[in-house]
Amino acid sequence: MNMNKHDVQHKQAFDEPLWWGLFSAGGVCFAVLLPAVILFIAVLLPLGLLPTEALSYERASSLLFSVPGFLFVGAVVCLPLFHTAHRLRHGLFDISVGNDTLNKKLMYGGAALLSVLALGLVVAGFLS
Amino acid sequence: MDKSSSQRLPPLKRTWWLKHRFFKLYMLREATVLPLVFFTLCLLAGMVALLQGADSWQGWIAFMGSPIVLLLNLVALAASLFHAATFFVLFPRVMPIRIAGHSLPDQAIVAGQWAGVVVVALLFFWLLGRGA
Repeated sequence: MNMNKHDVQHKQAFDEPLWWGLFSAGGVCFAVLLPAVILFIAVLLPLGLLPTEALSYERASSLLFSVPGFLFVGAVVCLPLFHTAHRLRHGLFDISVGNDTLNKKLMYGGAALLSVLALGLVVAGFLS
Repeated sequence: MDKSSSQRLPPLKRTWWLKHRFFKLYMLREATVLPLVFFTLCLLAGMVALLQGADSWQGWIAFMGSPIVLLLNLVALAASLFHAATFFVLFPRVMPIRIAGHSLPDQAIVAGQWAGVVVVALLFFWLLGRGA
């Protein structure tokens, strides 16, 4: 990964610790939270295996559009998005697709945009 | 830091990772984020639907139940568990835990993290498994 380390010693990577930190935090959330989230929301709910009222429109709204809902979205959507962006960026480098300077902006930029959108949806629901 | 290919090393072929099991597993682990992207987009769509009203919300649940979407989300579930299996073993290497001068065995740290997965699932069961 650091093949060009000696060529560019003057060019410090001030931002990399941030990306690796978000990658780690997102990785923990992906590993610990996402299995249960996917199981309940994307498998049991559509299969009708949850009690009818468990995620009715009213209950789902009151659960999501709240302060805990905001934190839930941060941990289940935003942090894993930065984890994803980091893996995709390095994966693209591994298979020599695109150039890293651009990929980096696209991936982290995309993660940031979707994160703002997700948190914005919670705030919009909270205020409405 | 920009990662540009070095002048000193010959460039790798795109298929370099297909040559060894270890690298195939590495790429599989990297690829666990692809079904996660799918699930995340589904979830965002669900949040929009919830904001729109009761009919949209029911429509979204029906969409989540269509065979292709369900299948892809089952892949996402499997991917999240595979990611967990690879991620949990890293923890004791990155951050060994010492309690009262004794280092905690790696297996204990890994088991503790799996216990976390189970606790979160139980929390969801408590929240959603019993109706309103």
